[in-house]
Amino acid sequence: MNPRSCVNIHKEWDIVGARQLGREMAKEIGFGTVDQARIATAVSELARNIYLYAKNGQVCFEYIYTNSQKGILMTAVDTGPGIKDISSVMQDGYTTSGGLGAGLPGVKRLMDDFDIESAVGEGTKIKAIKWIR
Amino acid sequence: MDENLKELIINNSDSIVDNWMDEVGRIKAGNYTASISDELYENTNREFVNVIFTSIQNQGSSKVVEEFSEKIINLGWPLSYITDGLQIFRRVTIDFLLAQADQVDSNHFSIVLTSVDEWIEPLIRQLVNEYSGSWENILSLQRVALQELSAPLIPVMERITVMPLIGTIDTDRAKLIMENLLEGTIKHNSEVVLIDITGVPVVDTMVAHHIIQAAEAVRLIGSTCILVGIRPEIAQTIVNIGIDLSKFLTRSTLKKGFTKALEITEREVVDLHAKNQGIEDIMHSLKGE
Amino acid sequence: MRIPILKLHNYLLISIQTEIDDQTAIKFQEDLLAKIHKTGAIGVVIDLTSVDIIDSFIAKVLGDVVSMSDLMGARVVLTGIQPAVAMTLIDLGIHLQNVPTALDLEQGLVKLHQELGG
Ligand SMILES: Nc1ncnc2c1ncn2[C@@H]1O[C@H](COP(=O)(O)OP(=O)(O)O)[C@@H](O)[C@H]1O
Ligand SMILES: [Mg+2]
Repeated sequence: MNPRSCVNIHKEWDIVGARQLGREMAKEIGFGTVDQARIATAVSELARNIYLYAKNGQVCFEYIYTNSQKGILMTAVDTGPGIKDISSVMQDGYTTSGGLGAGLPGVKRLMDDFDIESAVGEGTKIKAIKWIR
Repeated sequence: MDENLKELIINNSDSIVDNWMDEVGRIKAGNYTASISDELYENTNREFVNVIFTSIQNQGSSKVVEEFSEKIINLGWPLSYITDGLQIFRRVTIDFLLAQADQVDSNHFSIVLTSVDEWIEPLIRQLVNEYSGSWENILSLQRVALQELSAPLIPVMERITVMPLIGTIDTDRAKLIMENLLEGTIKHNSEVVLIDITGVPVVDTMVAHHIIQAAEAVRLIGSTCILVGIRPEIAQTIVNIGIDLSKFLTRSTLKKGFTKALEITEREVVDLHAKNQGIEDIMHSLKGE
Repeated sequence: MRIPILKLHNYLLISIQTEIDDQTAIKFQEDLLAKIHKTGAIGVVIDLTSVDIIDSFIAKVLGDVVSMSDLMGARVVLTGIQPAVAMTLIDLGIHLQNVPTALDLEQGLVKLHQELGG
């Protein structure tokens, strides 16, 4: 009833695969087109970060239900270099790769709940939830 | 339904109705209907009992039931008015039928009970369904109306659209405003969108932030946003709290904003008076000849 | 996959019809600059009506291509950005401040025509 679907990220094309799955699942559970775009964009950001900074990882999706709400939870996990200073990567414009530095702070705004855990040398785990309005 | 009993009830409808009206009249005091005028209450009761009799006589006349429950909703009376009324009808009718019988044995008693229930139950079900059905209907209509009301979009003329905002803007409403604004801009193919904040009582950093985001999104989809209705006190707060609106077109009134919108879309208002003047001149010269 | 670039007088027209992956975006950037160089185009319209997602990477490529074309003397207008895409860009904090926009391809051409004066 509550399956978890994952996409492994190790080549660039996997980013597209991940966001297509994310959008598909968002649509399935009843998100409107705008929120589908928000979710797909957030997936794209997290998947690309894995590809760029950690090389290997996984993005997973599952539906979550509470008494009054339902939504989608995405989890992006990698075993890459980890992030030393989380508060700085959460700032708009912070980038170590010449990007826009909009990814992580953007995902936080695109989604409703956002949680990041990271340990240097071990990897990074990001969880984000979007609830159906 | 026992045909004899049915006949008995219909023939004696006057006295049953009297009893019913008495009892229903009595429950008025001290409950939900207390504030209703006696006249309206009595008229509605009479209509109610007519509905009951109509539906006894010709089983399943749903039209009257439908209309009646709609009326009760429009009056704003609760569902308990209907259920109380039907319970009382049931009791009054049973009392009446039992009083008519020469002797009451358990057999007769059970026939009366079953017959009356057979009538009343479908009616209860039907009325309750109708009531809650139309209630849900009204509720969803109102929800849509409220949504539209909270972010209306007016295509005043070709290529120019106005969104007047009235009331407080919170995050949820800001989302709705943004969606309506962008969808509407595309739908009406508007090159200029005027957001009128005359009716927004307080513009704090959060409200300003939402409005700026909306204006930026409008620019992204390829249209131009003009912020109008900036009253003196709003101009003061905006500058005092350090919000930078210099990138955006702003005007103090919708009228000025509209003039700017015409300019952007390369149009102007032509005063027809000049033309009339010309005609007057011609008439004058004709008379003179 | 390659995004086709059409030439119309002094203008180049691009209508992006597919989901853009990173390689396609980079290739497109190269192709467009080469084409501007070759044709001497003075205006470019990139129509995004069929694009249903623009993340920060694609946004950067698009913003960059506008600045690069500008340097080469060709003005770029982005058209047809969908409401949902505009809203996600705003959430990402990407405003494409210096990028001209228009509602659709046709109005994009009109805009270029006005700005470039012929
Ligand atoms: N999964 C990750 N592993 C290690 N570092 C990361 C990861 N994700 C993001 N980062 C770091 O956080 C910075 C900000 O990321 P982001 O907000 O996506 O912007 P950008 O990718 O444009 O640099 C990156 O430049 C990178 O240094
Ligand atoms: Mg990133």
